[in-house]
Amino acid sequence: MKTKVLMMAGLFAGLAAIDAPLFAHHGAAAYDMSKPVVLKDARVTEFLWINPHPLIKADYKDEQGKVQHWTMEMGSTMSAGLIGLTRTTLAYGDVVTLYVWQAKTRVPVGRFNKVVFVDGSTMRDTQTGADDGGRADTDVGR
Amino acid sequence: MRNPYTGAIAGVAGVLLLSALPAAQSTTARSPWKYYPMERAIGDGGPAPKRDLTGTWAGPGSGAAVARGKSETPPPLTPLGKQLYERNKPIGKYSPGGTNDPHSRYCDPFGFPQNMTQEIRGMTFTTLPNRTFILLQYMDVWREVWTDGRTLPANVGGRGRDALDPKYNGYSVGHWEDDYTFVVDTTGLAEETWATKSGYPHSVDAHVQERFHRDSRNDLTLTITMDDPKLYTRPFSLGEEHFRWIPNQQLDEFTCIPSQVQQYLKELGDPAGSDPSAARQPN
Repeated sequence: MKTKVLMMAGLFAGLAAIDAPLFAHHGAAAYDMSKPVVLKDARVTEFLWINPHPLIKADYKDEQGKVQHWTMEMGSTMSAGLIGLTRTTLAYGDVVTLYVWQAKTRVPVGRFNKVVFVDGSTMRDTQTGADDGGRADTDVGR
Repeated sequence: MRNPYTGAIAGVAGVLLLSALPAAQSTTARSPWKYYPMERAIGDGGPAPKRDLTGTWAGPGSGAAVARGKSETPPPLTPLGKQLYERNKPIGKYSPGGTNDPHSRYCDPFGFPQNMTQEIRGMTFTTLPNRTFILLQYMDVWREVWTDGRTLPANVGGRGRDALDPKYNGYSVGHWEDDYTFVVDTTGLAEETWATKSGYPHSVDAHVQERFHRDSRNDLTLTITMDDPKLYTRPFSLGEEHFRWIPNQQLDEFTCIPSQVQQYLKELGDPAGSDPSAARQPN
């Protein structure tokens, strides 16, 4: 475990220090990056580990009790894999809190920011996983 | 306020931690079938072997601590070049919902030269007596570079029975300029592809030159230039890319799958739409 933590810390911090290219399949121009929408206690309905971007689908019950069906994308399978995300990170039925940069069109789709699991652990997106919408992974890929 | 030294401290710490990784990883069972992005070649590995690029290399975005490359530096376009450029809507500006990039919408081939700068991750060289093959990880593309002394064709895309058809990867010939620099010249490119991710076009007659310089056993640098007088007012650089030797020579699979792209666009890309201000900005 200690070795794993060391490796992950090294990956994040070390890559941050390396002058690597900014690669991205596409930018975040379609999304409102000013503040993520928080989907507390959202229930995952599907996690699609596909290219060009994996999709998280989740149902979220708003304050009025109305269920919203959300879909969000994350960094590519290759990039997400480099920071520890896998095709089994999320699964049908998982109850989690999702942070998402919503589309400017205001439909319930967006760019994944981070997920907080019931045990309090967090996993972030590659390109837009930082709390300010910046990269959380540094420059490992799109 | 952010501590100005935080980044530097994190960077130094990261480098130190990275330097400890090989030792830490050596205690873990390694599969010969898996690509380990954190398992990097150490140092330059010594002098480069002469006239040899054979093997598998990690490129930009592969997680193997590859140095930053350089982007294209296009010169002014000719009137025809400007016309072609302005009809392209690159994904970086228009988003998946608004782009007309045929790769982003349909997984159409990037074609050369875009496939040497866009999603250029892992790459393998293999050599026959009369040809060198460049095998690209993304999209499982292979390029054929003839080294038997032939010259480039001059009649690609023309009329007549002997004319050659344009090809996505064009027609390529290669030679060693010196013991460490392999030069590849290419023409005859399929015109429906873009030269760059940002939508710069090319004609079938574009002449692209790649210079693969093996800096050391573990380091390879690629520089690309394009001369296309129909569309550009002078030759220019399409960029520079760096590659590092992969210790176990293994790559993962990474490809664009049309059915997945259609699902992605239907469920996310198109509903998200394009940046509302994109169409008002000059291309």
